[in-house]
Amino acid sequence: MQFKDYYQILGVPRDATAEDIKKSFRKLARKYHPDVSKEPDAELRMQEINEANTVLSDPEKRAAYDQLGQGFSPGQEFHPPPGWDAGFEFSGRGFSPHEAAGFSDFFAELFGRMGGGAHGFHTQGRGGEDHHAKVLLDLEDSFTGAVRQLTLRVPQFDASGRMTLSTRTLNVKIPKGVRAGQIIRLAGQGAPGAKGHPSGDLLLEVEFKSHPRLRAQGADLHLTLPVTPWEAVLGAIVPVELLDSTLKVRIPEGTQSGRQLRVRGKGIPSNPPGDLLLDIQVVLPPANTPKARQLYETMAQELAFDPRRNGKG
Amino acid sequence: MRDDEILIGSLMEDTWLTLEQVSAACAVEPEWLLRHIEEGLFPHADSVAGVWRFSAVSILRARRMRQLERDFEATPELAALMADLLEEVDALRTRLRCAGLP
Repeated sequence: MQFKDYYQILGVPRDATAEDIKKSFRKLARKYHPDVSKEPDAELRMQEINEANTVLSDPEKRAAYDQLGQGFSPGQEFHPPPGWDAGFEFSGRGFSPHEAAGFSDFFAELFGRMGGGAHGFHTQGRGGEDHHAKVLLDLEDSFTGAVRQLTLRVPQFDASGRMTLSTRTLNVKIPKGVRAGQIIRLAGQGAPGAKGHPSGDLLLEVEFKSHPRLRAQGADLHLTLPVTPWEAVLGAIVPVELLDSTLKVRIPEGTQSGRQLRVRGKGIPSNPPGDLLLDIQVVLPPANTPKARQLYETMAQELAFDPRRNGKG
Repeated sequence: MRDDEILIGSLMEDTWLTLEQVSAACAVEPEWLLRHIEEGLFPHADSVAGVWRFSAVSILRARRMRQLERDFEATPELAALMADLLEEVDALRTRLRCAGLP
């Protein structure tokens, strides 16, 4: 386990006041806010900053950390001596299991003992709590209803209330037709309940990885479809490759570039299925051979066409 | 642990989350959620025959609002305003993505 320098993470000196720590945390929390930050690894940095702040903003945790961390530098191999926390009474604010899942092993080892009681995650005389996690799926998974192996990092509490972080691997059948933002419920896979009470559920929030060609919006799928000028002008039936099949789509005569064609029921196979929306993009062939040049020149001479005069310039 | 088994998940339709499920997923007290609903700061909640039901986006909103209140000591109204704006940004980003723009 590597030692973490929480002061360095928050960019404050070791003798920083509570006010300095708060200020620095807010500054960094703004910079790395995952919703707005343009920084790479914003989410990871935010977890680190949260973890550092959880320790340094709490006088008891900070005092314990200061005593323990003397003489260590970041990244150095570190093991807390047995019974190091004797004499400290931790009563400060706790942290949620959701947050704790993002914290380091270093944190869990040092402060895990304090998480449980303070926030009441224990399951006294009732069913276990529901756990929640986000899963990143491929669009294909929604089409095929694939079985995916998911790895989750979950905080667990032992009989004495000490928290440990463990990695849990689940094989989950992805329901066919699932859309981004929907929640897959795995009954009984959340926190265990008190004796005689049922376990909570595991709620998985679905998000899709970006796909090179297809873009999902709800149950609808968007696809940019390049066509030749003659297919667009004369009309044609063109093949469109989807995730699980190839469709034959009719391009109506006189289709302009930028027009959107809707193919009903060919989006994500939910109930009811979404639509496939094709954004038509007319691609001009290059005039890179004498023959091609000649064809363009013939058109220029023979067709009385000025897109600007028609107000389409 | 039953790792090797294949777990069959059921799909929760929108507005199927209960008050308890949302508060557990966001580590907020149910009272916190109820207070925000009463103050009109939580438009994604819907009461059916006296029972609150939440859409899946509620989890993200509750989590965002709680973090803003905690990290920046934001008032609930300010946190809700910020959550509104972030939801708007999400919607616009989705439209950009669908238009094939980065």
